[in-house]
Amino acid sequence: MLLEVRALTKRFGQTVALDDMDLTARSGEILGIVGPNGAGKSTLIRILAGEAIADSGQIFIDGQVWSRRERRHDIAVVHQEPELFPSVTVAQNLLVGREGRQVLWPKAGVQEQKILSDLHIAPYADRPLHSCSLVVRQLTEIARALVHDARVVLFDEPNSALTEDESTRLFRYMHALKKAGHIVLFVSHRISEIVEQADRVAVIRAGKCAAILERDDLTEEAVAQQLVVGERERRGESPTRGTGSEAGRALLRVEAWNHPRGAFQEADLQLDAGEILALIGVEGSGARELLRSIAGLERSHGTIRVAGLSGRAASRALVTYIAADRKLSLFSNLSVGENLVSRLGKPEIAGPWGNLRKRKLSRLARELVDKFRIRARSVAQPVRTLSGGNQQKVALAAAVAKRPRVLALEEPTRGVDIGTKAEIYHLLRGFVNDGGGVIAFCNEAPEVFELADRAVVVSRGRLSTPLNVRSYDHMETLATDITRLEGNSPAPVPAGAQEHGGGAGPEPDRC
Amino acid sequence: MQETSPIEQDAAAAAPGSRPTTLTERFKSLRVPVALLQVGGLVAAIGILMGYFQYKNQFFFTSTNILELVRSMSTLAILALGETLVIIAAEIDLSVGAMYGFSAMAFGLVWMHGISFYLAFPLGLLFGVGLGFVNAFFTAIVRIPSFIATLGMYSLAQGLTYLISGSLSINPAYANPPVNSGELTVFQNLTHGNLPFNTPFQIVWLIGVGIVIWLLLHRSLFGFRLTAIGGSHEAARLAGLPVARYIFFVFMISGLLAALAGILDFSFIGAMQPNSGISLTFPVFAAVIIGGASLSGGRGTVLGTLLGTLLLAVLADGLSLLAVDPFVQLIFVGSVTIIAVALDRWANLLRASTGA
Repeated sequence: MLLEVRALTKRFGQTVALDDMDLTARSGEILGIVGPNGAGKSTLIRILAGEAIADSGQIFIDGQVWSRRERRHDIAVVHQEPELFPSVTVAQNLLVGREGRQVLWPKAGVQEQKILSDLHIAPYADRPLHSCSLVVRQLTEIARALVHDARVVLFDEPNSALTEDESTRLFRYMHALKKAGHIVLFVSHRISEIVEQADRVAVIRAGKCAAILERDDLTEEAVAQQLVVGERERRGESPTRGTGSEAGRALLRVEAWNHPRGAFQEADLQLDAGEILALIGVEGSGARELLRSIAGLERSHGTIRVAGLSGRAASRALVTYIAADRKLSLFSNLSVGENLVSRLGKPEIAGPWGNLRKRKLSRLARELVDKFRIRARSVAQPVRTLSGGNQQKVALAAAVAKRPRVLALEEPTRGVDIGTKAEIYHLLRGFVNDGGGVIAFCNEAPEVFELADRAVVVSRGRLSTPLNVRSYDHMETLATDITRLEGNSPAPVPAGAQEHGGGAGPEPDRC
Repeated sequence: MQETSPIEQDAAAAAPGSRPTTLTERFKSLRVPVALLQVGGLVAAIGILMGYFQYKNQFFFTSTNILELVRSMSTLAILALGETLVIIAAEIDLSVGAMYGFSAMAFGLVWMHGISFYLAFPLGLLFGVGLGFVNAFFTAIVRIPSFIATLGMYSLAQGLTYLISGSLSINPAYANPPVNSGELTVFQNLTHGNLPFNTPFQIVWLIGVGIVIWLLLHRSLFGFRLTAIGGSHEAARLAGLPVARYIFFVFMISGLLAALAGILDFSFIGAMQPNSGISLTFPVFAAVIIGGASLSGGRGTVLGTLLGTLLLAVLADGLSLLAVDPFVQLIFVGSVTIIAVALDRWANLLRASTGA
């Protein structure tokens, strides 16, 4: 059995998400899919899952054209957060959509019972789904795929929230599916797992399938290198890697910082003025939650001090946060100019009576547009008509307009094209050179390399010793070190790194 | 997960490879700004209606009729301006009709029981503010959807109105013991003052409230922030805007204006019935939506709301001149509102699809 993706193309406005992509997967093998963010991986998954429609190109299963309308159940997706029916039982979840002519509440038949016991979730058959653990819910998703005779099962970052044991169990079922003849696709950011579980790995970059690695070629280093290929050109002419100017007085410090739900433990960090610190970690590692807690969005236990003040109030007042999702960092109903000044008030854009000073507003907006080189026809343009990169610049400019001490950025260049990425790094460098500090959650090594002075890798809630990014000459080395720290493999002090004073973290791995 | 309408889904029925050519796609290529279309469409619709009514009944375009038309719309306009602020905040206030009735009734009773008019009037307004405060409390603090909270308030306030009035109407001119006659004159002059060309006095109130709300919405920091908040509560919170405080503001203003409209109508008619205002609930909402405010929040103008109110007033006046049965009006108002909401949804689709 064969799954073929041919010449698949998808555009969102001016951005090309999938660029004439070709991909093949066979039954009896697990195909791993990796790729940096914005490379088209999620778009591909959404199209396969039937959530989006490609602009052109076709998908074939065993030579037959696949269309989501007619053969929706041929491709099943197991999600990180299963999207099933929480209000009915596990067994009933298998029956939804397949009730046939039953008039009363349907009952599980022989086929369903067998699948439930094969997956070892028969004991949960009569429990409502919402009361089951995540792994049981994911297994239910697999069961549903089987019951619908899905030929292709796509695992989309399924185990970021699972424990070691639960992950192992999930992988066992993945292999069982492969042996039973299904086509198994496994998408993940965790390179070590992909290399271990997959037979072949496809690297998606810039909307295309850039490389296939298998057998002897399939190593962690090889995958890590493939992910950063093409970014090499940016190295060298980076004006961002200037010397940090302001004396490194501590701007922000957290000690014994614990997340109430355990996303991270005993975090210990320091951010100095004039410095850009990157937090890097895969989904579920706790890095994102750590950033949000520093911005005061998640109540955490421990000590936090920002520019002399302490406690959560200090974060809320002095740390400006920009969310990863632009729906949360911009107002889509407002214009570019209005967005730029949205965090301001009296006296910047309003008089003592609260009267809006429209001319001042426009002038300020235009200044910000110039300073941040935002490409827009006019400040009155609706912000949603801008490209992703320019929108991100607007979000940044709006945050900086309020002159914060610390910027907490979540994925600072998500959905941003390469050219604008470089500009954003440059602007952030300018911000810290003026005395501010930036702490950013990144999930890609090249960004850490270009942007940060220091980087802390977060893996399963624990922080690594900070890496001195500037001491790395080659991005590939940094990428490999980060991958190793992320994968928790027992590594001594990584090659090429020197320890930077302040913020000595606990051991990066625990087995 | 994307929400696609049947139109879009059917158009994209074939396997990946077909380009949807929906109505929306074709319209987008015309590149007409949506806002312009809304105002233009509204003005055109009003013009057409006026033309039609004039054709059917020569009396329509007389100064008497037009002045009466504008007077009759002033109540609705004042209520609708308050409602506009609430809708821009991405909330909804379904209790305005009941707040209108309760505040006016409470004012009247307080006055007729010996309290000076000059105290009773602000007190009446304060009642409206108080009810608005309760609406805001349940919406912003208890976090009940404003639809439910204000629907509950609608029923509550209506019940209270019946309770305090003993289910009876009141008329201060025939009160026993009688109210101070000087105060009675002041009360009546609220809406019966003399203006050149026999212009009804209520128009002054309409213009006054219109200017105040216009300044508030389009010329002040408050209006700017309100528009941002309405666009996305979550983004506003993350940007440090006081979302809850603004929800309180808009509901209290809505209550205040409802009370004002109630007392003014009370002054004009001379008497107040316990069920006054109930029939206003839907037209207020309709006027705001027809005027172009978006149900999803973050969008709305004073001009639009006034035009929406004008449309409904022209409709009501014209139909009554044609001596059609009153229920025909209901049919029209309902249909026009549904069409307006559908067009609003389409407009949102257009706006969303031009984004990245």
